[in-house]
Amino acid sequence: MTAETIIQSLASGLLMGLLYGLIAVGLALIFGLMDVVNFAHGEFLMIAMYATFFLFAFFAIDPLLSAPLVAAALFVFGAVVYLLIVRFAVRAKANAGMVQIFSTFGLAIVMRGLAQYFFTPDYRSVTHSWLGGKTVSVAGIFLPVPQLVGALVAIAAFGALYLFINRTDFGRALEATREDAGAVALVGIDKNKVFALGWGLGAALVGLSGAVMAIFFYIYPDVGASFALIAYVTVALGGFGSVFGAFAGGIIVGLVEATTALLLPPSLKAVGIYAVYLLVVFVRPRGLFGSM
Amino acid sequence: MNITRRNVLLGATAAAALGPIAARAQTSEVVIGVIYPFSGASAQMGVDAQKSFETALEVINKNHDFDLPLAKGEGLPGLGGAKVRLVFADHQADPQKGRAETERLITQEKVCAVIGTYQSAVAVTVSQICERYQIPFISADNSSPSLHRRGLKFYFRAAPHDEMFSAAMFNFFDAMKKKGAKIDTLSLFHEDTIFGTDSANTQLKLAADRGYKIATDIKYRSNSPSLSAEVQQLKTANADVLMPSSYTTDGILLVKTMAELGYKPNAIVAQDAGFSEKALYDAVGDKLEGVISRGSFSLDLAAKRPMVGKVNAMFKEKSGKDFNDLTSRQFMGLLVMAEAINRAKSTDGEKIREALVATDIPGEQTIMPWKRVKFDEMGQNNDADPVLLQYIGGKFVTIFPPQAAIAEAVWPMK
Repeated sequence: MTAETIIQSLASGLLMGLLYGLIAVGLALIFGLMDVVNFAHGEFLMIAMYATFFLFAFFAIDPLLSAPLVAAALFVFGAVVYLLIVRFAVRAKANAGMVQIFSTFGLAIVMRGLAQYFFTPDYRSVTHSWLGGKTVSVAGIFLPVPQLVGALVAIAAFGALYLFINRTDFGRALEATREDAGAVALVGIDKNKVFALGWGLGAALVGLSGAVMAIFFYIYPDVGASFALIAYVTVALGGFGSVFGAFAGGIIVGLVEATTALLLPPSLKAVGIYAVYLLVVFVRPRGLFGSM
Repeated sequence: MNITRRNVLLGATAAAALGPIAARAQTSEVVIGVIYPFSGASAQMGVDAQKSFETALEVINKNHDFDLPLAKGEGLPGLGGAKVRLVFADHQADPQKGRAETERLITQEKVCAVIGTYQSAVAVTVSQICERYQIPFISADNSSPSLHRRGLKFYFRAAPHDEMFSAAMFNFFDAMKKKGAKIDTLSLFHEDTIFGTDSANTQLKLAADRGYKIATDIKYRSNSPSLSAEVQQLKTANADVLMPSSYTTDGILLVKTMAELGYKPNAIVAQDAGFSEKALYDAVGDKLEGVISRGSFSLDLAAKRPMVGKVNAMFKEKSGKDFNDLTSRQFMGLLVMAEAINRAKSTDGEKIREALVATDIPGEQTIMPWKRVKFDEMGQNNDADPVLLQYIGGKFVTIFPPQAAIAEAVWPMK
């Protein structure tokens, strides 16, 4: 094992980790806001990837340009999902937790089924884009441009989210609602609006990830599943509800995955992720940055 | 009416007289179960397989002038012209779902034979259930060698298995070395289910027997979100030949990641699966000029056997795709099964099994480059000669063995 191999693996792990973080942040945001786990998170990612693909295939719009469009579309989609489904699920009197789980889980299955019906299960990919297939090489270390841009987008999106939450009225309303949804009603904040905004934001973030990922990953109806699993671990590792924790968790997961693949047979690389996760919940059950 | 002895006798006679008619009426239709992934990550394989089986069904149930089993005339003449009907079941690439669905096909749908399954891991459980109910199973496109070595009586495979495929690859390496190509080290890259594992074990053994050095042997988790660590190791090993055994999704990601990390092997010799899929070449075909994959089908054969082109056109009308290595094997799987049922003149599992054991279809009556279809005592057709195909200028051409080749191999790839 040469130094070059190690640095390359860590670099690849970091780039992938930033993307895992971006995917997980939306999940953490929604959970932090209203204690609901979006089990359709992977499917949100999937439709974002398809949206990017179709904008490319029919209108030749490069994923880099369509990313804001896709994020905006997912924002609307997320808000609509809240208003049409989740709003009613959280109101359930009996078995509220179960109703929430099954409503988003059911949504996931429906979305997957519809995608398979309308888009066929064939594997799609964005065959050529401005970034696709390009690689920069620094001292023998290869950094694929799509992932590099994906990482930059992730950092920028996280920065913007941070500013949004801390510097805007909407962001403050979001924070306030997550701290005490009952009390904000007293000061005239419409809880439903804030929740819808939260779902919109969470979906927009995963939409952004999907658009960036479409450049270098294949697209098919089940593509969300493996990323969603990693996103759940990432959120739990970083600390439930902590947006910063999710982002940091993503980076850790990416690095751990790369390191495990270097030390153990690559078929066991997921073992590293889950081992670290188990260790964290063992010594710090609320997650690294969790505040509950 | 009083129930007298005479009436009972009359009734019995009538029933006995009606018997043969009833039996014939029962077999006006022969129901065969087809079990594939129709949802989940490999759903497209199932969708394509369905089109392939429907093409074979059309050959059997309608009148054609091809020299294929059951093509001439309608239905199965051995069963009074009975038509074949297919029942499709979805195993979602999950061996346990495969087990349950096979049980349902047999007990609820009353199928008299089963064909499947794409994933070898699922074929393991499906064939066990078939064995228990004494229903013949044809493994149309599973290539794991361990499948036919389990002493099952109702398991049959007309197509080659990975030892035959891999042996063809090593024969090819030997031949290329004689011509002066440098092939000393190999990198294996295989997924972690029975297909990849069996394939790698076979290749490891063949490499040891024939004096090739394994530079690295990477077993990876299928459907991983990232393969950069794996590709990094392949790049470090930098063997003369990269030998992947991957399904489509991983194949696409592998090739993309290789390009991103600047790894260009001298040659790729792939164990089919994803590397025979149109989706893979649509996605990353530009990076695969010169890739070699094993196969048991080549459209080249249409030049020698025009019916191959005709059947391919029938399939293309349904699916929008040419036959590939998988769909051609699926097509033949159903023909072989129907041909045996026809000879058995019965839908009884044991009788069909006996007919399968006696199968002897000459290669010219298939769409494959096989010598013939004849099963050994383990249900394996050892005369299913594999070929090696090279992807040149956007299509596959046969390069090996010499008697089937229509072009010289381009070596190294680029």
